[in-house]
Amino acid sequence: MGKIGHDFDPLSSRYLGRIEAHDSNEDRLNQLKVGDFVTAQISRFDPAVDTKPYFETYRVPYVKWMRVLDVLIYVSETLGIEYAHRWYCGVKKCGTCAVRVNGREMLSCWEPALPDMVIEPLRHLPLVRDLIVDREPYERRVMELKPLLVRTKPYLGLPEPITDREMRAASYAMDCINCMACFSACPVLDLGDQTDFSGPAPLVQLAQVALDRRDGMDRSVLIKNTASIFECVSCYRCEEVCPVEIPIVSRVIEPLKALAFATKPAENKHQSAFLDIVNSRGRIDPSALILKTQGLRAVLNPARAIRLWIKGKISPVQTFFGSAVPGIEYVRRLFSDVKGAL
Amino acid sequence: MKTRVTDIIIVGGGAAGTYTALCLKKAGIEPLILAKGLIGKSGASIFAGNLNLHGHVFGGNDEEAAAMRDYIVRWYNHYLIDQDYVLKGERWTEEVYYPELEEAGLYFRRDDQGKIVTSYGLARGAALKQQGQSGILLMDLRRKQVRQSGIETLQETAVTKLVQNDRGEVVGVVALHCPTGDIYFIRARRGVVIATGPADRLASRATGTREQSGDGLALTYRAGGELLNLEIQWWHASDFKWPPCWQRMHVYPNPLVGTKETARMYNSDGEQFFDQSTDAPNSYAPYPTQLKRLAEQVANGKADLNGRYFTGYDHIEPEALRNYARQLKAFEKVGLQAETARVETATTWHYRQGGINTNPHTMETNVAGLYVAGPVGGHNNGSLGYTTYDAYLCAETIKNKAEMTALPNGSDFVAEAERARVTGLLRMLPLNGVSPISVKTKIRDLMYDKMGFIKTKQGMESALEEIGRIREEDTLRMGLNNLSLNENFGWLDALDVYNMLDTCEVTIRSALNRKESRGPFYRTDYPDVDNENWLAKNIIFKHRNGGFEFRTEPYKLPYYRPDFKREKYLDVLW
Repeated sequence: MGKIGHDFDPLSSRYLGRIEAHDSNEDRLNQLKVGDFVTAQISRFDPAVDTKPYFETYRVPYVKWMRVLDVLIYVSETLGIEYAHRWYCGVKKCGTCAVRVNGREMLSCWEPALPDMVIEPLRHLPLVRDLIVDREPYERRVMELKPLLVRTKPYLGLPEPITDREMRAASYAMDCINCMACFSACPVLDLGDQTDFSGPAPLVQLAQVALDRRDGMDRSVLIKNTASIFECVSCYRCEEVCPVEIPIVSRVIEPLKALAFATKPAENKHQSAFLDIVNSRGRIDPSALILKTQGLRAVLNPARAIRLWIKGKISPVQTFFGSAVPGIEYVRRLFSDVKGAL
Repeated sequence: MKTRVTDIIIVGGGAAGTYTALCLKKAGIEPLILAKGLIGKSGASIFAGNLNLHGHVFGGNDEEAAAMRDYIVRWYNHYLIDQDYVLKGERWTEEVYYPELEEAGLYFRRDDQGKIVTSYGLARGAALKQQGQSGILLMDLRRKQVRQSGIETLQETAVTKLVQNDRGEVVGVVALHCPTGDIYFIRARRGVVIATGPADRLASRATGTREQSGDGLALTYRAGGELLNLEIQWWHASDFKWPPCWQRMHVYPNPLVGTKETARMYNSDGEQFFDQSTDAPNSYAPYPTQLKRLAEQVANGKADLNGRYFTGYDHIEPEALRNYARQLKAFEKVGLQAETARVETATTWHYRQGGINTNPHTMETNVAGLYVAGPVGGHNNGSLGYTTYDAYLCAETIKNKAEMTALPNGSDFVAEAERARVTGLLRMLPLNGVSPISVKTKIRDLMYDKMGFIKTKQGMESALEEIGRIREEDTLRMGLNNLSLNENFGWLDALDVYNMLDTCEVTIRSALNRKESRGPFYRTDYPDVDNENWLAKNIIFKHRNGGFEFRTEPYKLPYYRPDFKREKYLDVLW
């Protein structure tokens, strides 16, 4: 199934960030040779004595094809430093060793060591100690999304009639190893309590069953409300960091949005408003979108509205007095061509 | 010390532990799973790449069913197995296990016409979604099922002692909860199930996951349980040598999905010395055969057990290789192309065929209140189907047993003494002290060097001496730099050291006691397979005075028996 020969497809949007940052697999390989040293700054934190995390620096001799995890294991097992880091398998099966290296989430067993590394724990989860975060809030979110198959038709016995093609839609999400790299990378989750967005990985878990044609449960409420999927901004950070290369936006989040939208279009305020605005003006207008989706709530926070205005994020003048883009008729023709778009 | 009471304690959160818990919960018996790692994320189960297809499942014919049975009895267990157990387990996996998995939503890989994709050869395997991924997906399902059914769990929790009452019954455990440093005394009305799996990390290269230190065997041994065939230790012969943490990255020598070809192995001169499809076509997992051919290369100076030989898929058609994406990704990730490259490989300590002496029809041990689920029992080598069958048997036995009437006399005292021992290990590093992790590293290095695949009497005896020296000297000097109560891996390492020492010691002694070579067990001073004397359980147990005692017990061979009495080990394919 996987494409062989390349670590990534350069045309794929999900790797643009890596390419721009000169951080592809090819870039990471060959930066070191046997005999060199790796400098690793490891984040340390003990809740009993520390008020905030700090860094300790270690020098580790490079060995052939060394991974980030090899550096961490050397520090603990050879230098005898008793810092806390969780890992079990070392070969991309257990999904417990993810950390942030130089600000980017990665599975430490999978990515090559770099000459200089700042190694930190994942974000968006409570820090327990050093590089260990509490997985429990994540696991609870996953279970809230009811990630087990619900059969409404009786199971007919082994083997049930289904083809590989029919399973393809759900199959991308099946690669997920719950490493939480995308959960840490997601900028929407930076909003903390201000967002109800479940984050990418829980949606991947949901997609395993929601996109499986054998599943009989109506999951639109879970997708829209419990997971708040329309708060996803499609920034592709999740795809960029996924160590098992799941196309999270294109093969998980977009199909889930479509599923939720198809069930009850009228209830998808955000989506409908978005399309309405584009249909009438030919482009998206952030303040109109906020007004249409949040209504009065948007006006109740004038301070935020002014901040957004000053930063140029919204333009009420454009919203109330602007006109449609030239060539709007072509945009509208697209809408009329796509059945059910509005 | 925190205390809890439950119906049954299950030590281990893999395929066996979770299924035992699910069965018992359904029957109204409250299980508590204690996992040293995380449920479904640590342990051996996630390493199962494929599901063996037992019996006639997915349209298999009689010949194919017989081939898988022959594989289990001969190639996988070398006749050291109860043959009625093999037959019953085969029927159960076919009638109960595979349908349960599919009904729950697991996807047995099909082609575009809907036909199940199986490996080439008579002994068949199928994959959940993709070869190499089956165990991960199974355990992902179990993890969620355990949560959904409301089963109580304590994860990252190491059991340090089985607590027995004055009748010798196992009535609870003492355990350390690593995230908080809390020590628990947990009583269990119906006993304790050991489900810690076939793997451990007792050698410097091991497929056992990070947390595994032979705990299930050490705990059982100390409680008076019998252990058997500990010397029958499997090895992977074709795992990546570099990078170090990829010591578990297997270049599968097994039949591949969608091609007749299998991986080939080459010595330091580039000469091919193993290819399963021609050298052991009837073996579904030809690891012992691989090892024997490797031993010949080592004898000729053209390979080492620790590298200087190579494995590759470079002769296989690229279209077929694509089915194998997970393995190919590994090549790519270090800058190689699997279509053209061979990778340096080395031997890795794998599953242990032996384990706790277990009744394979009830999962009982010789200790009352102590049960086994899965291949930590010495009754079978590990595979997901039989492992789950064990869990079913174990749950059935427990359901039919009455609760143990009286709570233990004197067990509070036992638990309190254990709490003191565990707490005592959380101590600062003394002058001239050693860290527990360095002691663990020392044990693993000596096990890899002296208890490697090719064993000599002299090597084994010196390994035993070194284990004794570490026990008498190093353990007394152990201490920590950090006394944190949260996720203190150094503290856990100190506990592990004692389990590793006990498990290594009984393993070495068992190896010295089996005076033949068989399967993956090769000692150069007894280089024959001896079916006259050693189609037998090699049982070790603790003597009342504290010493060791051995006994042997022949296997019954009602349906299958080897066709020779004595043969040169290297000439026997299995």
